[in-house]
Amino acid sequence: MKRQQPLPAYGFLAPFAVLFLTFTVVPVFFGIWISLNRWHVLDKAPTFIGTQNYSNAIHDDLFWFALLRTGFFVMLAVPLGNALSLLFAVALNQKFRGTTFYKLAFYIPVLLSVTAVAVLWKWLYSADWGLLNYYINLMRSWLGLPKATIAWIGDPKYAMSSIAMMSVWWGAGGNMLIYLAALKAVPKEMLEAAELDGANPWQRFWKTSIPTIKPALLFGLVMSVIAASQVFGQSYVMTGGGPAYSTLTVVMYMYQQGFGQYQLGYASAVAYLLFLVVFALTLVQFKLLGIKRT
Amino acid sequence: MLTACLVVASLLSACTPTPEASGDITEISFWNGFSGPDGAAMEQIVRRFNKENPDIRVRMQIIPWSTYYDKLTLGLAFGDPPDVFVLHANRVPEYAEHGALTQLDSYVTSSGLSESDFVPKAWIAGLWDQKRYGLALDCHPLGMYYNLKLFEEAGIEKPPVTQEEFLVAAKKLTKDLDGDGQPDQWGFAITDTHLVGTSILYQFGGGLLTPDMKQSAMDSPETRAGVDYMLKLINDYKVCPPPGASDAWMGFQTGKIAMAPQGIWMIDSLEKQKDLRYAAAPFPLMGPKKAVWAGSHNLAIPAKISARRKDAAWKLIKFLSDNSLDWAKGGQVPVRTHVLESKEFQSLPVQSQFAKQLAYVQYEPFSLLINQMGTFGDAALEGALNGSEPPSEALAKAARRVNQVLARE
Repeated sequence: MKRQQPLPAYGFLAPFAVLFLTFTVVPVFFGIWISLNRWHVLDKAPTFIGTQNYSNAIHDDLFWFALLRTGFFVMLAVPLGNALSLLFAVALNQKFRGTTFYKLAFYIPVLLSVTAVAVLWKWLYSADWGLLNYYINLMRSWLGLPKATIAWIGDPKYAMSSIAMMSVWWGAGGNMLIYLAALKAVPKEMLEAAELDGANPWQRFWKTSIPTIKPALLFGLVMSVIAASQVFGQSYVMTGGGPAYSTLTVVMYMYQQGFGQYQLGYASAVAYLLFLVVFALTLVQFKLLGIKRT
Repeated sequence: MLTACLVVASLLSACTPTPEASGDITEISFWNGFSGPDGAAMEQIVRRFNKENPDIRVRMQIIPWSTYYDKLTLGLAFGDPPDVFVLHANRVPEYAEHGALTQLDSYVTSSGLSESDFVPKAWIAGLWDQKRYGLALDCHPLGMYYNLKLFEEAGIEKPPVTQEEFLVAAKKLTKDLDGDGQPDQWGFAITDTHLVGTSILYQFGGGLLTPDMKQSAMDSPETRAGVDYMLKLINDYKVCPPPGASDAWMGFQTGKIAMAPQGIWMIDSLEKQKDLRYAAAPFPLMGPKKAVWAGSHNLAIPAKISARRKDAAWKLIKFLSDNSLDWAKGGQVPVRTHVLESKEFQSLPVQSQFAKQLAYVQYEPFSLLINQMGTFGDAALEGALNGSEPPSEALAKAARRVNQVLARE
């Protein structure tokens, strides 16, 4: 049989390639160029200022503060979220009636848009008539304690943790599916062999299942670190970055600089600095989990 | 989601009869963010304009304030701007400096508008570099709403004016109704950290910037005195809940807060609350000098449209200003002196009370950089009033950030 000419293949690729080039590749390089300019949206033309935006960002305490707040969010949301995903996956890997129902129930939040979730949780967190405070006070009154009002997202001390908690609820179902699929793929023979060798369920899980699903775990972890580092919608909708900057994340800061104050160059520089941080984090994770690139 | 602006287009022109020669009609667009009942009032006025000016057809587009400036700025930057638009007073410098606005001085002179028929502060609000780029349609100061029922219960006959009267009233109005040692009816509340905080700082002579706008005043003794006063209301006199702890405006609507400062634009949410008996008063005096935060809706014309469209746009601006009594009825304070003095305006209960402050209102600094620095001050107030940061640290940090931006630009 004659070998297929490459031309039609490129033809089929073209629609995607054009979109990918226009909306991803070109903006990536255009962004680097913007970050080297001072550019207020209303300026007639950008002014080239070299690396001035980068050095401004490095001397901007709010940029570092936003980076720290983002780190705090990642440290809370990623381990908690992945632990929960794994727990759900292990539970749903057991044989009992209604697994489909639970799978669906845990996964549904993932399908919601961040705006819908954020608005919903804003009500749950409301200090005055939030469901969360209602139940807490119900419990406190059973225990004979006085009423307490926690402002959740209105209090700088709790705002970021509240957002992390909500994000875990929102996202845990996604990795759950990945982990569940990986667990299902663990060969039965291996588990049976381990059982015959006298391994208890705990050992079977840690010594057999976990090493087998390690690539899936790595994937889940890396993707959630990347996603969590770019957290934006939650603080945008729920707190606007406040109170007192407590929920100011790097992407939120970038948005404020770029679309609130129209400092496009500065906002782009912030975006590229975040990219460097996330890139470094990803390399570290690859190293730590001992995955060699093949 | 960011780009998904909720655009409500009202095609007002649909109601006007179309003259035969359509070539003689200049169609202009008018953008604003009046998505509440103010939008309905504005629609009425624009409809009248369309009827009285058959050669011009105005299409009004309402874009909620939350996304308004995104769309407006991009329109001005990359083409397709509206022919007339609303610009808040303190944003005029930024747009004027970048050459995005048409200078209006010759229009103002030729149509006989003069300073004598305007509230002086509002007249200045559209100027940048001594040239006019915007014409104030109204002035919306912060004011105080108070609950008549709670005032009667506490035996207070009139709203407080002086610092002393305010404290006495606030203490009388703060009550622990269920006896758990915690007040559940508050005399006062900081309903909006920015608006209320800024007003109180102005009264103490503080604020974000020094009067010459060369450096930050956030670390000045005057600003500190204002913050200390607010902290006293919260911690010592205990007449005001810490901001952020609960929704204070909702608290006023449900009768848990007796005196709540808010803008004129909130009348509507109170009118809907049928069981609430309320009245309005000027924001009381808390510091050594009279001052209160205010803003203005300025009308502006973009730089890059044809002369014919500019003329039509100015006609609309003049009409809106001349008919600002109708705008006042929609819940605003106009800035034309003859309108303010009219019997009809004086009979509007809330609007006329808010208007009493016009002589001493204080706009935010007319600085090119206000947009970049505003959040620093708010964050400091939030941190200090919530007790999450020592006031001295929060204020020093804000001052440093403001000075950094001033030095950078």
